[in-house]
Amino acid sequence: MTTQTAPEQEQFDASDPSLTRFDLVKEGARRDGVEIVHYAPRFPVPGTKAEKRIERVLGLMFLLTGLMGTAFVVAYIAWPWHYGHGDETYQKLFPFYTPLLGATLGLALLTLGLGIITWSKKLLPEEVSIQERHDGPSDRTEQRLTAATIVNMGDELGLKRRKFVGLAFLAGAAPLGAAAGAVLVGSLIKAPKQDGENIFFTTGWDPAKNGGKPVRLTHEDGTPIRPADVSIGGQITVFPGIPGGATNKYGDSPTLLIHLREQDAQETLRNVKAVNKDSQWQNFVAYSKICTHAGCPASLYEQQTNRLLCPCHQSQFQITDNARPVFGPASRALPQLPITVDDEGYFVATSDYRVAIGPAFWERP
Amino acid sequence: MTSEQSKRPLARLVPGGARAARSKLRRRLSAAVRLVAALTLVGGLYSAYAPGVGRAEETPVLSAQAQHGKQLYEYSCITCHGTNAQGVQDRGPSLIGVGSAAVEFQVNTGRMPLARQEAQAQRKQPQLSEQDAADIGAYIQELGGGPQLPSAASLDADVQKAQSDPKTLAHGGELYRVNCSSCHAFSTGGGALSSGKFAPTLQHSTNRDMYGAMLTGPQNMPVFGNNQLSPDDKAAIIAYVQNLNKNSQSDPGGWNIGRYGPVPEGLVIFLIGIAALVFATLWIAGKS
Amino acid sequence: MKRRKIDVRALPGKSAEALDERFQAATPLRRLLNKVFPDHWSFLLGEIALYSFIVLLLSGIFLALFFDPSMREVVYDGSYTPLRGVEMSQAYNTALHLSFDVRGGLFMRQMHHWAALLFMAAIVVHMFRVFFTGAFRKPREANWIVGVLLFWMGFLEGFAGYSLPDDALSGTGLRIASAIMLSIPIVGTWVTTSLFNGEFPGDVILDRLYIVHVLLIPGALLALISVHMGLLVKQKHTQWPGPGRTNENVVGVRMFPGFAAKAGGFFMIVFAMIAALAGLFQINPIWLFGPYKAAVVSAASQPDWYVMFLDGSTRLFPAWEIRFDLFGWGDGYTIPPIFWPTVVLPGILTMLPMFYPFIEARFSKDKAVHNLLQRPRDNPLRTALGAMAIAFYVVLLISGGNDVLADKFHISLNAMTWAGRVGILVLPPLAYYTAYRIALGLQQHDREVLAHGIETGIIRRMPDGRFIEVHQPLPLDEHAVEGDGHHGLEYAGWVVPKKMNRIGALAPTVKGFFYPIEKAAPTPKPAPYDIGVPKREEITSDR
Repeated sequence: MTTQTAPEQEQFDASDPSLTRFDLVKEGARRDGVEIVHYAPRFPVPGTKAEKRIERVLGLMFLLTGLMGTAFVVAYIAWPWHYGHGDETYQKLFPFYTPLLGATLGLALLTLGLGIITWSKKLLPEEVSIQERHDGPSDRTEQRLTAATIVNMGDELGLKRRKFVGLAFLAGAAPLGAAAGAVLVGSLIKAPKQDGENIFFTTGWDPAKNGGKPVRLTHEDGTPIRPADVSIGGQITVFPGIPGGATNKYGDSPTLLIHLREQDAQETLRNVKAVNKDSQWQNFVAYSKICTHAGCPASLYEQQTNRLLCPCHQSQFQITDNARPVFGPASRALPQLPITVDDEGYFVATSDYRVAIGPAFWERP
Repeated sequence: MTSEQSKRPLARLVPGGARAARSKLRRRLSAAVRLVAALTLVGGLYSAYAPGVGRAEETPVLSAQAQHGKQLYEYSCITCHGTNAQGVQDRGPSLIGVGSAAVEFQVNTGRMPLARQEAQAQRKQPQLSEQDAADIGAYIQELGGGPQLPSAASLDADVQKAQSDPKTLAHGGELYRVNCSSCHAFSTGGGALSSGKFAPTLQHSTNRDMYGAMLTGPQNMPVFGNNQLSPDDKAAIIAYVQNLNKNSQSDPGGWNIGRYGPVPEGLVIFLIGIAALVFATLWIAGKS
Repeated sequence: MKRRKIDVRALPGKSAEALDERFQAATPLRRLLNKVFPDHWSFLLGEIALYSFIVLLLSGIFLALFFDPSMREVVYDGSYTPLRGVEMSQAYNTALHLSFDVRGGLFMRQMHHWAALLFMAAIVVHMFRVFFTGAFRKPREANWIVGVLLFWMGFLEGFAGYSLPDDALSGTGLRIASAIMLSIPIVGTWVTTSLFNGEFPGDVILDRLYIVHVLLIPGALLALISVHMGLLVKQKHTQWPGPGRTNENVVGVRMFPGFAAKAGGFFMIVFAMIAALAGLFQINPIWLFGPYKAAVVSAASQPDWYVMFLDGSTRLFPAWEIRFDLFGWGDGYTIPPIFWPTVVLPGILTMLPMFYPFIEARFSKDKAVHNLLQRPRDNPLRTALGAMAIAFYVVLLISGGNDVLADKFHISLNAMTWAGRVGILVLPPLAYYTAYRIALGLQQHDREVLAHGIETGIIRRMPDGRFIEVHQPLPLDEHAVEGDGHHGLEYAGWVVPKKMNRIGALAPTVKGFFYPIEKAAPTPKPAPYDIGVPKREEITSDR
């Protein structure tokens, strides 16, 4: 379709009294590239029963919207909403607060939407319009003009002739750009090595964190643990007995202390690898709870099969064989914490873990 | 021999023997009595001081309840757990030392008698009444000792007390999350273990069942003896679990869709959300 | 005092004039009002995402007024008794506060979360619609790229959002995210230490995630959505082929009032769905999870569904770790197994879809501008590739929830993992082959009907004993070639009628589900009785 030329536009007289309003609409559409090919009111004869029925339905829809909307506001304000407060009736009604809000608001919005859609489908005139696309490249001449403008811009800058200026600009701007980047990123960067040690290779069990003394194994509340506190075939989660040892500050330190049955303990001793030598104390073993795959606590201990299952990605570790992985995506055994019992009869860690705990990383050998 | 000598046969042995002679019968009688007395003395000394050789083959003296338990045991349990609860290789472990707590837990939840050997002992309808379970438990207890459950009444009272004290309830929650949720899930709905095993849901468990499970460590569940989790701690944990499951206020957000987390939530958004909205688009715009 | 007479009826006109004097709005405004939009149900899927986004913005503003992302340790003293006295971060504390001590707070939280799930679901459904109909071809490649970016922005936004309350479930997810970053070769430990300001979890990550979630990514999303919509308005929407539709026009209804009414009504319906879900279905019950602690985890731990496919890939990938020595430099190095399914795979899944329009154009040597859509059957290769992608995605998605399935359906967990590992290799090629053959079959059927007419189901016996089925030929057009039983109708890229009522030979189907909601249109009657014309017209086959 050809574009409108100026004389045609000037020929159209919008104030001509013989033109209907729809003629004006059509002309406006035509100027926007739209041709209204079919435009028929749904009810050419006004006031038919069918039309009145639709109007009634719409009225009902919007009435429901209003009712439900009001119900929402009333329920929001007046219905029991506060957990654990109030008398028995209040508490009985409480669980319905959120569902009531959802139901009333949902119905209100639904009837509103249904009403609007019904209005458009049943009352608005049937219409089919066609609009021209104007795809493809711009006018050839326009392309040439723009290209010339851009190329000229480059020429005007004179970089081709004045090489030195260009180079000087680049040489000066580059460090400035680096400066902007450095400030943005620089203060964020933090090295894994702090105080001379890589933080990924030490945990809260390091005696250095306890003034050189071996760290005690404690419950979550800080109380130390005796061997008699763990049932045979049982396990408990233990934390380093230092200030904040059970908090997330030492999120790499939770350890699983397991009291094996006699035969299982013997088997574990037979299977022990060099890295885990002398880590077992009688029938007790302690392994890092932090899975070596992705760091979730691996704590599903199956006391008869002696497997430790991690719930996140189903890695399974064989406790009686150095906690090496026997299934799933984990590729490294759980590090073993070397433990013994001190003079007062409480468990202590003789040293920190001998290998890095948790998920592997580039520098881990 | 003179007639006097025949009346006192041993008289000739006694120096100045005529006076010592008595009747033959009386002499034989007294010898017999002395023989019996000597034997009794030696026998009694022996049985008093000798070690109880062969005591293992003797059944100990059982109470009436345990006797009944023994009968039930020999009907329902002996094929896998053996005579005197010694266990049978590759079929059932020894029950010496497991205590009545383990028996009552396994039988009252229907896990024992096992339907078949499989990865997991399934909870099912109990085959024996609670009284019968207690009787077998008494038998096993008297056989080999072990942990015992508190009475239902006292445990329920403890749990009730724990539930009404917010501090204990919260403490039970913390204990649950550190010790239990990794297998039984935050929702108490249970979870999968390796190779076909699973930790069952706690949503229908009684107080006593939960106490018994913690105390005895059934199948692959670790043991949480009273040295590790005191009876008060256990009551707190049970109170927390029961509060989650019985208190209607625990799911204030509507239908909890099983509390399984993002999996049912994702299903709902597609099967309900997107499906309904696609039907809406079909209605609005149709297929032209 | 003089009373100014305000002519109310002239007010709109006067205001319009005032605006036009300043902004010359008359022509652009009319151009906007007259824009034509094509009509098809599948074009509304993207709008679901748009409306969900608006709901997310509104509900998010409410939540932001109450939420505090600080990781400072506090003691809970709110209404939820089972957590009273427990130590937790301020973030978790305020999230609980919202759920239990703010009127309607739980409802708003749930609305926000359900809207997020719907946003991502709608994006995926819309993306597949665009893919299978070929709407991404020239000139719309840029819009497709923007769309892929929108998916990943939404992904990150959702992850940041559900990690903010610092509950045990999302905290575990954050731990896994840190392990993923850790696995990146060479820079992994630096990236993690910098982001968390030390070891996991550190004390700043929630503050940083908060800024990402309420400022950075919403800004990016708003910008991308504006570009997405802008390109749509500039290039106009694609349309299906059909009567009167060409590659150079758009047939439909104008923006106002027709299209705007439909769009507005649909907005209300989407909003209604979100509100209903928010009230009736509980989502993310953080009070059950407790505060995040490094030693606490639950069985059945999964991320939200749109992240779950990565959880699946992590569960399935075998324990293949690469350890090597760099000729004595250092102590030895590791590339952990988690690197491949969580860093490399998403990288491929971003780049490959993003550049697919160019890849397809290169292989099909198709440089033309396409404004008409293709039915999936008409491009079997693309459809089959899409089916393969869906199969791959679904296997990963299901594997992400394999422990829940194992538990509830009593399947061995180890078996589920192996099933996933085998399935991920076997099912996609199977899906490819099946989809390809089905598409070809559908194409074949279309051409068969065009050539031979619609099967009427009427069987006739010919005099020589053969049985034939009577076919109703389709209406001919002037280009058809008669003779030899074929009608020479060309396939026009649009639906071929395959039922008698679609061509008016029988009464149209009655509308209504359980009972008629409209009276059935009258059956077409044969011509009235006339001398010389037989009473009934028999439908016959051609020679």
